[in-house]
Amino acid sequence: MVTSNRSHTRDCVSIVKPKHATEGATAWLLLAYKVPREPTSARVYVWRKMKQLGALALQDAVWVLPATSRTQEQFQWLEAEIVELGGEVTLWTAQPASENQGQSLQQQFEQQVDVEYREILDQLKKKARDLTALSRRYQQAHSRDFFQSELGQKVRQALLAAEGESKR
Amino acid sequence: MKWVTWENVGVDRMACAWLIRKHIDPKATFLFVPKGTSELPKGAEPFDIPGVRLSHRRGHCSFHTMLDEYKLTDAVLRRIARIVDEADTVQVVTVEPAAAGLDFICDGLRLTSPDDATALERGGLVYDALYARLAADAKQGGSK
Repeated sequence: MVTSNRSHTRDCVSIVKPKHATEGATAWLLLAYKVPREPTSARVYVWRKMKQLGALALQDAVWVLPATSRTQEQFQWLEAEIVELGGEVTLWTAQPASENQGQSLQQQFEQQVDVEYREILDQLKKKARDLTALSRRYQQAHSRDFFQSELGQKVRQALLAAEGESKR
Repeated sequence: MKWVTWENVGVDRMACAWLIRKHIDPKATFLFVPKGTSELPKGAEPFDIPGVRLSHRRGHCSFHTMLDEYKLTDAVLRRIARIVDEADTVQVVTVEPAAAGLDFICDGLRLTSPDDATALERGGLVYDALYARLAADAKQGGSK
């Protein structure tokens, strides 16, 4: 098992990522794993957790998340679970070698959560909309919104406005 | 008895420490080691550290594991375990709306406490309160 070094952990104590972090200065968590082919449920289980965490698969090989104290903890427990399932796993904290790579990675994360946000906005336009279900979806998407998407603010406002309308 | 965990405690470790003091070892003292440390002080029982006996198991939080290990079957404690599960790790099914709030409050307690020992003390108040609230529910036979 590869664990993060101490000074890095200290740097990542803040729970909320500062919005204007220096461009390209984000540290990343990389997780590579293998679980036994059988049972397939174990593979599905890990994959589903990755999706729920909002992790991205790079080249279908390495899963990545921006490093915060929260994501670090989530990956660290997932690491333990993969071992429990009889798999092998390595977890790293890393800096991309170039600023461009970091930025493009950030964009991929932004795009991923914006897709979710856009779906909610589309649903909100419909007449027969389920505000309770949509607000729940917003909360789930928000938990994967690592770079404070502006669209997320828009969804929140739209949900609150929709609630106002329904109260009239 | 001495107990040891990683520093910078959060929702699960506050729950575990509260449980230890209440139900397992009233005279417990807690030690803290930096996150990622694999060498642990001898003679102290480690908890909520990957790979130790009292840790996450089958997708459940360490608090849940502790209930199993110490055969604590109180229904209210079981309910708290579910809440901590949802607060501490990503679950496919979520049935406890208190989970997200509890997680935030415990994070905040760490931020407003001078050290981990104090954070655990203060966290104990939160879990006392949570237990009392859930026990009142259970008495009425309701779940809300």
